[in-house]
Amino acid sequence: MTRYVMVADINRCVGCQTCTAACKHTNATAPGVQWRKVLDFEVGTYPNVRRAFIPVGCNHCLDAPCADVCPTLATYKRPDGIVSINYDLCIGCAYCIQACPYQARDRVDVPNKAYGKEFGQMKHEQKVPHSERRAVAQKCTFCSDRIDYGTANGLTPGIDPDATPACANACIANALIFGDIDNPNSNVSELLRTHKHFQMHEELETGSGFYYLWERK
Amino acid sequence: MTQESPTGKTKIPTYCYQCVAGPDLLNVRVEDGIATEIQPNFGAADCTPAGGKVCVKAFGLIQKVYNPHRILTPMKRTNPKKGREEDPKFVPISWDEALDAIAEKVNKIQAEGKIDAAGYPRVAASFGGGGTSTYYMGTFPAFLSTLTPIDMGFGSGQGVKCYHSEHLYGELWHRAFIVAPDTPKCEYIISFGMNIEASGGVCGVRRHADARDRGVKRIQVEPHLSQTGAASSEWVPIKPKTDPAFMYALIHVLLHEQRDRLDKVFLRDRTGSPYLVAPNGYYLRDPETKKPLVYDLKTKQAVPFDTANIEPALEGQFVLSGIELGADDDRWEHQDIKVTTAFEKLIEHMKPFTPLWAARVCDVDNKIIRRIALEYLDHAKVGETIEVDGRTMPLRPVAVTLGKTVNNGWGGYHCCWARTMLAVLVGALEVPGGTIGTTVRINRPASDRNDSVKLSEDGFLAYPMNPTDKENWLATPDVRNANRTLVPLVGNSAWSQALGPTHLAWMQQDKGPDHWPQATKPDLWFVYRTNPAVSFWDTNQITKTIATFPFTVCFAYTRDETNHMADILLPDRTDLEGLQLIRIGGTKFIEQFWDHQGFALRQPVTEPQGDTRDFTWISTELAKRCNMLEQYNKALNRGAAGVALKTDKYDFSLDVTQEHDVETIWDANCKAASAEITGGKEQQGLDYYKEKGYRLTDFPRIKWYLTAKMEDEGVRYELPYQETLKRVGVQLGRRLHEKGISWWDEQLEEYEALPDMMDFQALWEGALERNFGVDISDYPFWLVTSRSMQYAWGGNVSIQMIREVSKNIGTHGGLVMNTGRAHKMGLKDGDRVEITSPLSATRGILVTREGIRPDTLMLMGQFDHWATPFAKDFNVPSMNALVPMLLDLTDSSGSGADLARVKIKKIGEAK
Repeated sequence: MTRYVMVADINRCVGCQTCTAACKHTNATAPGVQWRKVLDFEVGTYPNVRRAFIPVGCNHCLDAPCADVCPTLATYKRPDGIVSINYDLCIGCAYCIQACPYQARDRVDVPNKAYGKEFGQMKHEQKVPHSERRAVAQKCTFCSDRIDYGTANGLTPGIDPDATPACANACIANALIFGDIDNPNSNVSELLRTHKHFQMHEELETGSGFYYLWERK
Repeated sequence: MTQESPTGKTKIPTYCYQCVAGPDLLNVRVEDGIATEIQPNFGAADCTPAGGKVCVKAFGLIQKVYNPHRILTPMKRTNPKKGREEDPKFVPISWDEALDAIAEKVNKIQAEGKIDAAGYPRVAASFGGGGTSTYYMGTFPAFLSTLTPIDMGFGSGQGVKCYHSEHLYGELWHRAFIVAPDTPKCEYIISFGMNIEASGGVCGVRRHADARDRGVKRIQVEPHLSQTGAASSEWVPIKPKTDPAFMYALIHVLLHEQRDRLDKVFLRDRTGSPYLVAPNGYYLRDPETKKPLVYDLKTKQAVPFDTANIEPALEGQFVLSGIELGADDDRWEHQDIKVTTAFEKLIEHMKPFTPLWAARVCDVDNKIIRRIALEYLDHAKVGETIEVDGRTMPLRPVAVTLGKTVNNGWGGYHCCWARTMLAVLVGALEVPGGTIGTTVRINRPASDRNDSVKLSEDGFLAYPMNPTDKENWLATPDVRNANRTLVPLVGNSAWSQALGPTHLAWMQQDKGPDHWPQATKPDLWFVYRTNPAVSFWDTNQITKTIATFPFTVCFAYTRDETNHMADILLPDRTDLEGLQLIRIGGTKFIEQFWDHQGFALRQPVTEPQGDTRDFTWISTELAKRCNMLEQYNKALNRGAAGVALKTDKYDFSLDVTQEHDVETIWDANCKAASAEITGGKEQQGLDYYKEKGYRLTDFPRIKWYLTAKMEDEGVRYELPYQETLKRVGVQLGRRLHEKGISWWDEQLEEYEALPDMMDFQALWEGALERNFGVDISDYPFWLVTSRSMQYAWGGNVSIQMIREVSKNIGTHGGLVMNTGRAHKMGLKDGDRVEITSPLSATRGILVTREGIRPDTLMLMGQFDHWATPFAKDFNVPSMNALVPMLLDLTDSSGSGADLARVKIKKIGEAK
């Protein structure tokens, strides 16, 4: 079997938001919508305080709360573990947006206008309008079109750039790593074997597909 | 099944040089002629240190092209009154009208004389981005070269927002305009406020992430927990501007508790440590050769430093004879006097600075300071070696780095000296694993710092100090910041003006100091990629000053606070629309250490917007209209666009009598570039570079370090003892006093052979009390700033996407204050506050964080815009309006620190 997951090494991440920006480019998301972003955390009190940067987004859960509440079955799980949305089925009810414990979903009803209504759409916004995503739920797809292209053409997702999510491609610290966790020899399996790691909201037993490394074993 | 890759069919290679940590190669995805996506250039992954990637700033470039706020046609001002409150009433004009107006002004200046009655150039130019703007202005440098002299001293942050002391002293000591750890091999880094994770660019972030992954220990010493602090092993919250005390205590521990473990071979052979210092503070010299003397333990006598087969004493005092050469013609002949080695002088000098003493100054536990000193020494591995390119070299995997405010203003010299001394004591300067330089800007040639290594008569690295002797001192400043007159260290390279006391140029516009010409206004001021009305200090006053300049030409992307006062706005093509070749690779700024070097092309990836023009076209047109075409073409042939078009190995020179189009000019440069790096064997033209994007050749790793060249040439670092600086300072003082000038006396005190410790906090407090008549206790907070990775150097403040993603970093939101301290004052996150310094006041939102000292506040970046579209609605304050320009707070290098004392009061509840 195959299950694609994202691994974020928080020992490497510096919160630069290059992944955030790359995702916005590749997916032409609306102003204010970030399928991938990096949170800026503090833990402790002065002077015993630590600051950390935590990349977040859709966790592509095995037992996805968003899918559970979807009345039209628009949200579904692919055989490779990627949680997807069938925009034609989605009615935009936003139950999934409420249900997602990772706050990874949005709904946008209007065309992208980064500088507001007064100035209309810029040329590149017109070029990639993604009108299919209007007034329905949207979220990170793990750039599934790249995964599909890659697997159809003998490429390895997470290794070959044309088959790898834009955020992992762009990460300048090599802190975001994408791959197949069901393959014991994959890049992500190797990292999870050699590093201490955790998942967000493990107590909710969502079967998250997003792992955080924090130090080598 | 094979289908078109979802990453796109058409990808055009180009580069991003929006910050000094670049350039970085990238691809732009283009669909039907429209740029839609920035992508890494994975085709260059194996030959670039950052794996072909670019940082967040590059992703703003597409909005930059299509931004509806762009100025898309030349404009002229129709309201002759200038000022913040005046509407300039810009109206569109043709390129012909705009260029003719500029040419008319230039021709008038040429005819009447290029120098005004005060002796200053009548043409001035200001460029931003730490020199990066040069790589967007096409052939404009060739045009400017036809107008020289030009005053380039009206800075927009140079000297006060850069690593200023490091630039000057770094170049003096080890050819290091920028200093970096040899991060790939380093194991222990003490970083004093160096926010490398925000300022180190793609290469810096990648190298340090790799280093963390393999277990490097980085100690971040700074008042506010930056991104770099977040990614470090330990944060030490030090009081602002007390870093010199911390570093002196580290040196004290090494010298007075661990002396036997130091690298005595390095100290003896590569530094001035064994040189003998005579009673007046100058080296004891051989009467015949005038060479400095050392004491040879083999023959028990003083011998010139470069005598073969000697064993110079590192420590001790000796009774000897010789001469001492001081400032000007001062000369002393000594018989049997007591002389001391420079190293012994150092030991004595550092004796008082114990960790316990520093702990009180820095508000840091003395045990922490001592532990860090010992950890540093342990990791230095004195005695170990490593092979690089077949040569055995020392391996010293420890480094100390300095941040911006640490490097600026009073204390900058002390920090740079102490930082370099910490490397020297364990032999970790310019060796694998240690502290190494990246580039040179004052020494020559700038293209290869190894080649700039030249032996001085005294055995040290020769340095192009501006003369201070009676005959050659430049008594009358030739530009308004007086860099060559007041700052011998700044040299006389193309960069020197920008490294002078740039705030002096602004300050004097109000009132010049005694016995000094009242500075005149430039008759013509060119401005590109810089916004001093926002990015310097006392921005209210700067704005008023700019409004008095009679004729200002701004190359304008959008309206902004500086071009609000312009007479002509010229819209050049942006990063993704213009054509230019740039030198890449080698070792270059911040942490750009490559195993390759060569050239990359910036090229249009999409149709230019509006009636914008390529900068090279603008430059050629100006040259033509100013009747300078021949000189302009000659400058291009000499290499003004980056590559000499004719050498003894190739000739692609342009016909100097003809006007050449943009592509012809860059085609010649491309061919010359390929010929240069292949010794004339290859000559790929513009078409090749357009398709491939770059052309590289190998750069040997051993050239990352100066050691090989230093050893081969027998050159020493003039450390720890600064005889050259002492002499220069005395001479400069005499020259100034001969003119009746005493207002630079405090700066002259900094020319010390061994820098004396000062109470730097008290120095700031005293200066503010004296100049503003305030009680400093009414201003209880130190206000500092911090680098924003999303914005720094980028000129991208009007890009919506950059604003959006930068807000994920909490400290971008406003005035950062310690949570506990805020609560004690009845303040909470989100409150609106007024921030008042002795100079002025500004307003913003309070952001409460745990990662900042209770006595310190922080304002990130440089915002506070009032004219720049989009940015003017941020409602984020800047410290720049709060920081005064004071001579008292200007150090001998002409620099001041980004530091203010402020008070705050609540003016509104959190929403």
